Amino acid sequence: MQPKTTKVNIYTIIVLLFLTVSSLLVLYPLVYVVSAAFSPGNSIASLNIIPFGDGTTFKHFDHLFKNTNYLIWFRNTFVIAAATSICTVFIASLSAYVFSRFRFTLKKPMMMAMLILQIFPSFVGMVAIYVLLLRIGGLDTLWGLVLVYLAGNTPYNTWMVKSYLDTIPRSLDEAAIIDGASHFTTYLRIILPVAKPILIFLAIASFTAPWMDFIFPKLVLRSAHKQTLALGLFSFVTDKKNEFTNFAAGSLLVALPFILFFLASQKLLIESLGFSTVKE
Amino acid sequence: MEASIRTGEKETGRKKVLISALLFMGLGHLLHLKQYLKGLFYAACEVLLLVFLPKIITGIGNLRTLGEAQPHLPIRERANSMFMLIDGIILLAVIFIFIIIYIISVRSALAAYDQTSSAGAKKTKQGLNKAFPILGLAPGVGLVVFFVIVPLIFSASVAFTNYSSPGHIPPNNTVDWVGFDNFVTLFGGDATWAGALGRVALWTVVWAALATATCYFGGMLMAVVLKESNLRIAPLFRMVFILPYAVPSVISMLVWQNLLNGTFGTLNRTLRTLGLISSPIPWLGDPWLAKFMVVLINLWAGFPYFMLLTLGSMTAIAQDIYEAALIDGANKFQVFRKVTFPIVLYQTAPLIIMSFTHNINNFGAIFFLTGGGPMVKDSTLTSAGGTDILVTWIYKLTVNLLKYNYASVLAVMIFVVLAPLAIINLRRTRSFREGEL
Repeated sequence: MQPKTTKVNIYTIIVLLFLTVSSLLVLYPLVYVVSAAFSPGNSIASLNIIPFGDGTTFKHFDHLFKNTNYLIWFRNTFVIAAATSICTVFIASLSAYVFSRFRFTLKKPMMMAMLILQIFPSFVGMVAIYVLLLRIGGLDTLWGLVLVYLAGNTPYNTWMVKSYLDTIPRSLDEAAIIDGASHFTTYLRIILPVAKPILIFLAIASFTAPWMDFIFPKLVLRSAHKQTLALGLFSFVTDKKNEFTNFAAGSLLVALPFILFFLASQKLLIESLGFSTVKE
Repeated sequence: MEASIRTGEKETGRKKVLISALLFMGLGHLLHLKQYLKGLFYAACEVLLLVFLPKIITGIGNLRTLGEAQPHLPIRERANSMFMLIDGIILLAVIFIFIIIYIISVRSALAAYDQTSSAGAKKTKQGLNKAFPILGLAPGVGLVVFFVIVPLIFSASVAFTNYSSPGHIPPNNTVDWVGFDNFVTLFGGDATWAGALGRVALWTVVWAALATATCYFGGMLMAVVLKESNLRIAPLFRMVFILPYAVPSVISMLVWQNLLNGTFGTLNRTLRTLGLISSPIPWLGDPWLAKFMVVLINLWAGFPYFMLLTLGSMTAIAQDIYEAALIDGANKFQVFRKVTFPIVLYQTAPLIIMSFTHNINNFGAIFFLTGGGPMVKDSTLTSAGGTDILVTWIYKLTVNLLKYNYASVLAVMIFVVLAPLAIINLRRTRSFREGEL
């Protein structure tokens, strides 16, 4: 199609103006985080209203690595996220395979229960989870927190993977069974490879969630060397102290990998979100 | 003649298996079916239950009383009501699982008998492979039972006790069942609490509706403008618009909180320097303005998700529909209203419901931006601020006030609000519609 230059011009200008203004609004707080991270002051009050107006310094990053447990927080969060992600993929895919391919007693009630449970926020049972972890010695441990995340995710994730597996022809795994493969081999060699797209999505989603969670780490983790990033960063900007620049520096380091990853995978994101709407 | 004798034999044999399987778990497998491994496993389950039966009975008894007050004992040795409650619920779950295993064992004995008698003594497949469905489900179901269902039942139960500060916090004191007392207090027995509950519940629903609607239409607007603009730099704008989605919400909300701070926030200082305002605007300090800002900032954080979603479902629309519409002489706006919008709406409708439930529970968007504040009239007593929704109030009641009983009543209320949505969610799933469920 040929662009109709004269007629489209005014329309293009309006659209361009709209997009530019929206972009500025979107960028507004983000620019301040970046500038605060490199600004010499300490609190938000001393921050120049013009971004980067006070010159730049790396002293907040220095402070994070030398005087705080930032690296330990980072390591803890990473361990929790990685463990949650790996176990989630394993458990969800295994139960989804059973739900999708087998007939057994109580299958229907169990699936109904999974569907209804997924809607309740898991921290409604906060007090009970605390007492449970206390009884099994899981308080103030990273694995205790991983257990909580795993359990909370399982109903929804099982349903998601099961819906995906339902779209894969059964003949594929039935052929393997006829050839004498055990169910576990079939799961390992046939189901896992074909379900790879949804499992990667699941792995990423369950890896990113713990980085932002606050309630459960606050509930489960007590000692200073067991804190996660969300707890640590929050401690910079409580009512008692306002170290906004340190907070900004720490946040920048967490957010950067996320942003790079999202920008790199935006095509995949749009596709997988498009898939979820069509297939649901 | 011979056939009828054989069916008669089969009937009596079947009865024998049924009776022995009912008498003791696994007995049917051991006596009549020669499935020793399976039989031993089932028998072991029942033996375990019988060994622990006295403990189970005490546990259930404790669940009924939640322990007697023992002020004469040192604190460490007093009965801990919360442990009794959770142990009792776990025991109930264990008994429930046991009953299910029992049913499965009887059914499996009968099925095995039918199979052997009809197809002769066919060698059954190796046991481990046959047990795959059970082994495969065990980790998931175990986790869900103990870390999701038990806690949910626990919270629901606490709503019927007086587990609260200052008088009833274990291990110093015991907790008692109080029936519907907490519900009566919160639903009108105490004017301040009832008022706060009404206010918070109403705001929760309004908030969820506003937050969902603004993000949905905001995201759709952006997607359509990006898609229809045909600008060469559209991908650049899309990259900018994805940023709020990529930044962890804890971070972005805390940043906004600081930017909007009434006294030293950057926004007020900027506006003052520009000469636009003379006195600072209490963005998050006035209950109504704070409510408005919470929705607005949530739009900032939430529109990218729906923008991506709309972009995704728009690319899935077949191009020939557009061409047909254009040939028929439709202009761009008509194409959007009659083609794009209905299709996108149809495809994303289920996600609107999901987003609504997500916003009912959207702890982060409220807690990190306003902390539930600002204070209103009843805040000192109830701790519920001007922008608190049910979940943030639950958090405050639990962590700050130690009013676990009231927090649990709120949790039950969330159940009540969300249960119809769960049912709608169920009805729209493909497997439900196709009659599989």
